[in-house]
Amino acid sequence: MSESMETTIRDRARDLLEQEEVHCVIGYERGPRGDVRPAFIYQAEDAERLVWNQECGHNLVVYLHDRKLPLRKGEEPPRVAIVAKPCDVRALNVLLHEGQVARERVFVIGIACPGMWEDGEGSPLQARCRRCKERVPVLYDTLVGEPPEVEDVEEDWADLAELEAMTAEERLAFWVQEFQRCIRCYACRQACPGCYCYECVAEQVDPAWMGIAIDLPEVFFYHVMRAYHLAGRCVECDACERACPVGIPLSLLNRKIAKEVADLFGYRSGGDPQTPPPLATFKRDEDLPL
Amino acid sequence: MKATTRKDLIAWLTRLMEEYTVIAPAVVGDNVLYKRVASTDEIAFDFTRTDMSPKEHFFPDTQAILAITKGHGEVSLAEPPLEREQVVFGVRPCDARGLKVLDALLLEHQPADAYYAERREKTTLIGLACPEMWPGCFCTSLDSAPDEAGDMDAMLTEAGDSYLVQIVTKKGEDLAASLPLSKASQKRPQPKLSSESASVPSQEVWRQHFDDGVWARLADRCLSCRVCTYVCPTCRCFDVRDDVTQSGVEGSVIQRLRAWDSCLSEGYRRIAGGHDPRPTKMQRLRNRFYCKFHYCPQDFGPVACVGCGRCIVACPVSIDIAEMLGDVARLVDET
Amino acid sequence: MNAEFEPKIVGFLCNWCSYAGADMTGTSRIPYPPNIRIIRVPCSGRVDPLFVLKAFQEGADGVLVAGCHPGDCHYADGNYHARRRYALMHRFLDFMGVDAGRLCIDWVSASEGKRFAEVVAELTDQVQQLGPWQPPQRGKA
Repeated sequence: MSESMETTIRDRARDLLEQEEVHCVIGYERGPRGDVRPAFIYQAEDAERLVWNQECGHNLVVYLHDRKLPLRKGEEPPRVAIVAKPCDVRALNVLLHEGQVARERVFVIGIACPGMWEDGEGSPLQARCRRCKERVPVLYDTLVGEPPEVEDVEEDWADLAELEAMTAEERLAFWVQEFQRCIRCYACRQACPGCYCYECVAEQVDPAWMGIAIDLPEVFFYHVMRAYHLAGRCVECDACERACPVGIPLSLLNRKIAKEVADLFGYRSGGDPQTPPPLATFKRDEDLPL
Repeated sequence: MKATTRKDLIAWLTRLMEEYTVIAPAVVGDNVLYKRVASTDEIAFDFTRTDMSPKEHFFPDTQAILAITKGHGEVSLAEPPLEREQVVFGVRPCDARGLKVLDALLLEHQPADAYYAERREKTTLIGLACPEMWPGCFCTSLDSAPDEAGDMDAMLTEAGDSYLVQIVTKKGEDLAASLPLSKASQKRPQPKLSSESASVPSQEVWRQHFDDGVWARLADRCLSCRVCTYVCPTCRCFDVRDDVTQSGVEGSVIQRLRAWDSCLSEGYRRIAGGHDPRPTKMQRLRNRFYCKFHYCPQDFGPVACVGCGRCIVACPVSIDIAEMLGDVARLVDET
Repeated sequence: MNAEFEPKIVGFLCNWCSYAGADMTGTSRIPYPPNIRIIRVPCSGRVDPLFVLKAFQEGADGVLVAGCHPGDCHYADGNYHARRRYALMHRFLDFMGVDAGRLCIDWVSASEGKRFAEVVAELTDQVQQLGPWQPPQRGKA
């Protein structure tokens, strides 16, 4: 299945580039050391580099932020094609809604996704994939692959249960221990499609919300703040957790917020480009527990 | 060649902990890092390569370089307290070379970095030779080797139940005076070299290919995070900011903090007025490689890369410095 | 529970309702605990979650966000946004180790001098019971 999908992706990419419908195809390739990494194809003959398999875990939507400016003055920004899994497309919906990407500038090569391996062939699927209910993207210009069978997966917040059972003090101790390792490298922020502020509050000088220290008070504040800024916008793709060089379980933060957003506002991010996220809107008559 | 037993080594390290801050490879979560250890049980003797270099023990990621107290119409300044003597055990040859590179960059031109200088002076490096080269390692392409002892104060090579000991400097000799040594009964085992290598282009090549399209293609997948610069043994950019720690009617206490920064981050080169000479990812990524392979050799002498391979392993999108060197070398063949 | 512990509470009060209400408390000579430090903002919708986080980071033991009653916002809908924001923040901060009882969002109108005193007294008492909140401490510099 993977192989024929790979061929289809290469064919589509080749066609799009030959017909000059897009300036670039963003997909996946295998590097010389054997690991899968993002690929940018500009020539039709390079489409051979594209691969598709269960190691293609990166969320490529983050790269659309680099494609907003025209190549030459007076032109429209270049059109790009992007290989996108269902979770990636949810992130795209968020960006479409927020006006960061124009729909006509993106050609979505949607993938019917079997899930990503945690650690190479034969290993179990990543946690986010084990929970995934939508194996087909909600938005695409062309769909590659057959929609796989999906069991009726109950929404599983089990990953949060252990923490939720602790007292607030115990949770504080847990997070303090996790954040000790944080080196404030911002890989989490940079890998996230939803983090595109020109100047992040974490680096703002005036006001200096967080100083420059790479130390507990600052990193604690940073992670809480970032998770909160993504409330109702995070699509739980876990790109942040995968990017972290010291293995901090960032998905727990974002998932907790996603759970509460679902509970309070009946909303999950990225379902479509029209619905505004809950913190950007309100209902006059709603009784929220305060 | 001298040797010592594992048992004697462990006893010696335990004794050292009474007088010195002993830093050694230790497991922290899923990583192995150079950490201050309170007992030899914490040392991960069979580690391969730590995830971050030991540079943080010479150039801390966060350091108060001045304490300012204001109150009652007076201002007083206090320098940070003197550092304790340190021993870094288990330094790999690449990391020892990294410190030599930092010495050239931070100490040889005035004003020298006094904080780094103090720690460097008060630290003894007891190295551990690498038994082999691991994926990503290419120290042999940069004038070093998995068993290069020259940049350390003393180096140990594991050989079965014992360690072969090479004393390199007077500092190493003094520290090892209390380590029981006997004549080695075996030759020093040779490390297993890998077939990976990278050719480092000449200065002329870097000069000629500054505007080549290879940089844009490489930067396409860069995320402008800072992981590579933070894990690197020779990257040394920093920011300085004053931080008010206490403020009240009685007065205030302010710390002048120095913390790691990275040339890759988006706002790094932005200056007052908003101008930014390196606004794009491509310019910043290219600058990092040029700094290491062109500007540093030109201005300070050494190439600012030691071939440790940490950036290759840590990069979330597999940007590979050895592969980049190969791409640049290929440009020469094509012109 | 430490009888000598005096909590530090930071209050973000909207100019049109809750700040005026607090003023009414004063002019009516109704006593309320002095632990609260009031910061006036134009609207509860102005209260950025960063303000709340910063207050906790700088040593506050509790935070009050007070605005006009829903439907009465001087700027029409600022407090609806605040309502959503802080309903969520309550739960998330608790998950991060800041007990839910330390953050209070409430609605106080300009004429509710007595109510303001009650809200502050209740929050102060609640935070006093929870004890001081220690933000994560510096380990390095």
